[in-house]
Amino acid sequence: MFAVLIDQFWSLTIAGVALGFIYVLISLGYTMVYGVLRMINFANSEIFMWGTFGTVITNRDIFHYTQLSDPAKGWKLALVLISALLMSMFVAALTAVFVEFVAYRRLRAKGTNRLATLISAIGISIALQEVMRLLTASRPVGSPRVLEKIILTEVWGANIRLDTVITIIAAAIIYFLLERFIKLSRMGKAIRAVSQNEDAAKLMGVNLNRVITMTFLVGGLATGAAGFFYVTVFEYTKFNIGFTMGLAAFTAAVLGGIGNIRGAFLGGLSLGLLETYASAVLGTQWKAVTVFIVLVSVLLFKPNGLFGEAVQQTRA
Amino acid sequence: MNSKIQRSLAVMSAAALVFGVATTSTTSAQAAPKKLYIAYQGPLSGGEASTGIDEINAVKYAVKLFNAANKAKFNVQVVAVDDQGDPAVASTVAPGTGSNKKIIGLVGPAYSGATIASLPYYKAGGLALISPSATRVSLTDPKSPDFGGPVFHRVVATDDKQGPALAKYATSKVNSPKVFVFDDQSAYAVPLRGYVEAAMKTMSGTTLVGGDSVPNTTTDFAPTLAKIKTSGANVVIYTGYYSQAAVFVKQLRDSGSTAIFAGGDGVFNQQFSVLAGASAEGSRLTGVAGLADVGAKQEAAFKKSMGISSGVYAVESFDAANIFLAGIKAGITDRAKMLKWVTAFKGTGIGGATLSFNANGDIAVGGFSGFTVTSGLLKNTGPVK
Repeated sequence: MFAVLIDQFWSLTIAGVALGFIYVLISLGYTMVYGVLRMINFANSEIFMWGTFGTVITNRDIFHYTQLSDPAKGWKLALVLISALLMSMFVAALTAVFVEFVAYRRLRAKGTNRLATLISAIGISIALQEVMRLLTASRPVGSPRVLEKIILTEVWGANIRLDTVITIIAAAIIYFLLERFIKLSRMGKAIRAVSQNEDAAKLMGVNLNRVITMTFLVGGLATGAAGFFYVTVFEYTKFNIGFTMGLAAFTAAVLGGIGNIRGAFLGGLSLGLLETYASAVLGTQWKAVTVFIVLVSVLLFKPNGLFGEAVQQTRA
Repeated sequence: MNSKIQRSLAVMSAAALVFGVATTSTTSAQAAPKKLYIAYQGPLSGGEASTGIDEINAVKYAVKLFNAANKAKFNVQVVAVDDQGDPAVASTVAPGTGSNKKIIGLVGPAYSGATIASLPYYKAGGLALISPSATRVSLTDPKSPDFGGPVFHRVVATDDKQGPALAKYATSKVNSPKVFVFDDQSAYAVPLRGYVEAAMKTMSGTTLVGGDSVPNTTTDFAPTLAKIKTSGANVVIYTGYYSQAAVFVKQLRDSGSTAIFAGGDGVFNQQFSVLAGASAEGSRLTGVAGLADVGAKQEAAFKKSMGISSGVYAVESFDAANIFLAGIKAGITDRAKMLKWVTAFKGTGIGGATLSFNANGDIAVGGFSGFTVTSGLLKNTGPVK
């Protein structure tokens, strides 16, 4: 039973960490919005899905790569990858701001209760998914291979592949930049102020609407980056991928302590590793069961997740 | 349209057809070419109509070719029996068809449920049936109350046939194959995996080294790949559908594995190689060949003759009709002789499949063809034997 885990420990660990980083970035979308609005943005899964199409469009329609063309090399590779990353972040951020405008802003201005915005978020999430389903005729969409998946080296029997390395390093950098932004920038401080006490922040002259839009924007940027890594690694997207990935990332956010940025980081990584190990040891059919048993057990002892909900204090 | 009206319309149209048959046959009795009738039964209206229309077009096409080739001797007509794919409708149209002795053979019924509802009338009437698409296993199981013998036959193979075909095709010409089989947890994939694994136990030299069951929303196959690596498999079989298979086969090749990848008719789709690109090369798939797979020439001829492209089960429907037509050519004009003819029939289908039936009415040889992805196309390598 544990033979696979022992035999393939390092390759599983690397795969788990790479998957974990994608979860980290998506769960930032959930955590940021929750920190500020105390509401779950159910449309975040579809923001992610739309983000994946940013990369596909860049590779396929802007740089005209096809399934048959050779992967890019050197500067061209860097150019295509960075363009695709920016495009995915842009598309997702735009979608996130759109969601905020349509599903949240007006309802908030009218002072409706939280359930109304919850439903409107679910509604817009369904609409986003259906629009993409119609645009793609319900078909899966493949992305041409831009990044050749070269095996760089072998460490302890595990292949270290270029795409995995890029995913881990780039995602870590993006996470670090976002964390610094929240911690140090003026806008970041305003976001934290609103999350601590909305009324007090307003009295101090913080423009609430701007802060909330900015929160959605930043969450969208992180989620969009996740979309880029997803397509770069799996070279595939479909109108319905958001649900599974969104649910996993939401689980990661809760596991780490929703509303807490460091919680999202550790929650995402733990979930990536947990899923990968559980699938290898027990069989993939037990993945979801294991994950939720662990989640429930953690919540029994730490109801606010591993890192608590102490957002206001520990929020980086 | 409400279902009552729909149903009564179906009955009326069936009655009209039967009546029409009776009247026209009297007038043409003394005409030079012999007028004979075969029927097609399937959904020709309602929600499932596209299946039935695709099938009857292939039957009509076969008859058209036959009539043109035997102008002087025979004039075969196709009687359309619309059961909407619904057992309740089938039990109202089947009695009329069963008692109309002018009809000497029936292609269909298309759906298993409708077949079960129709069987009592066709058994009583001794009407030979050849279904192009009713796949329920119990229809040819003598121990089941649904058993259709001796009248029921089918040219479509069921997944208990596909399992062994897939196992054979995946491992053909592989030295001491070590096989890893996994499914996508769907109602189609799980039983198919069971049939593949059962077949493997009877194949000497082949060892089953591992398996997995992966949700059909999976995109990260790292744990499955780790298991494949540890198991030392040189053949990997996936019993799910093409979109996941494409994602998987890319990751399999990226992991450095050169194991053979194989899949069933769920993977058998041109989109598989479109999505997987170069990684799909050499993949081995089992599937039921469509007319376009048989040959571009055949498909073009069909389109020219019928005005539209061939559809689902075109090859099966065409083959089924041809079995009856061969009987007619051999001089058969009544049901009893036709039933004997069908039961003893041995021939080759348009796609190269061996057409003959076992004692329970199932097609004797698998009926699945092997396809290898070659330069991005699904290349038919002929029936899996």
